[in-house]
Amino acid sequence: MKHILKILALLVAISAFWIGLLQASVIPESYTWLLPLYFIVSLGCYGVLMVGVGLMQFPTCPQEALLLHQDILEARDFLKNKGVDVGSN
Amino acid sequence: MDLADKAVGLLLSGISLSVFTYYTFWVIILPFVDTDHFVHKYFLPQEYAILIPVFALVALLCFLCMFVGYVMLKSKKKKA
Repeated sequence: MKHILKILALLVAISAFWIGLLQASVIPESYTWLLPLYFIVSLGCYGVLMVGVGLMQFPTCPQEALLLHQDILEARDFLKNKGVDVGSN
Repeated sequence: MDLADKAVGLLLSGISLSVFTYYTFWVIILPFVDTDHFVHKYFLPQEYAILIPVFALVALLCFLCMFVGYVMLKSKKKKA
C-alpha cells in the first residue's frame, strides 16, 4: 500500500509542477502542452536504448560453455553405466 | 551466436537514438525555424507529432488489455 502512495505522490507532484509551469508562462505555452508527451516518448526511447546496449554487452563465456558441455557428456556416460539412458542428441 | 545478438542490439540502439533525435528536433527546434526554411520538408506537419505517440500509446494499452483478458479466459477454461 505504501508503495502505491509513494507513486501517487510523485505523480501529483509532477502534475503540480506542470500546471505551475503552465501558469507561470516562463516557456511559450505550446511547449508546455507538449512537454509530458515528450517526456513519455523520451522515456520509451531510453528503455529501448538500454535494452540495445545490454544486448551488445552481453557476455557469452565460451570457456564455461565448453566445461558445461564436458560435464554433460560425463554425466551422460555415468548414467548410462548405471542403466539410465539420457542421451538423445 | 553472439554476433547476431550484437547486431540486434546495435539495431535497437540505432533506432531508439534516431527516433529520439527526430522527435526532439520536431517538437523543440522546429517551431523556432521560419516557415519557408527548406528543413520543414523533411518533417511531417506538427499535428502528427502529437497524434503518432498518442496513437501508439493507445494501441499498446489496447494490446495489453486484450492479452491480459485472453490469458485470464484461457486459465478459466482450463480450470473448468
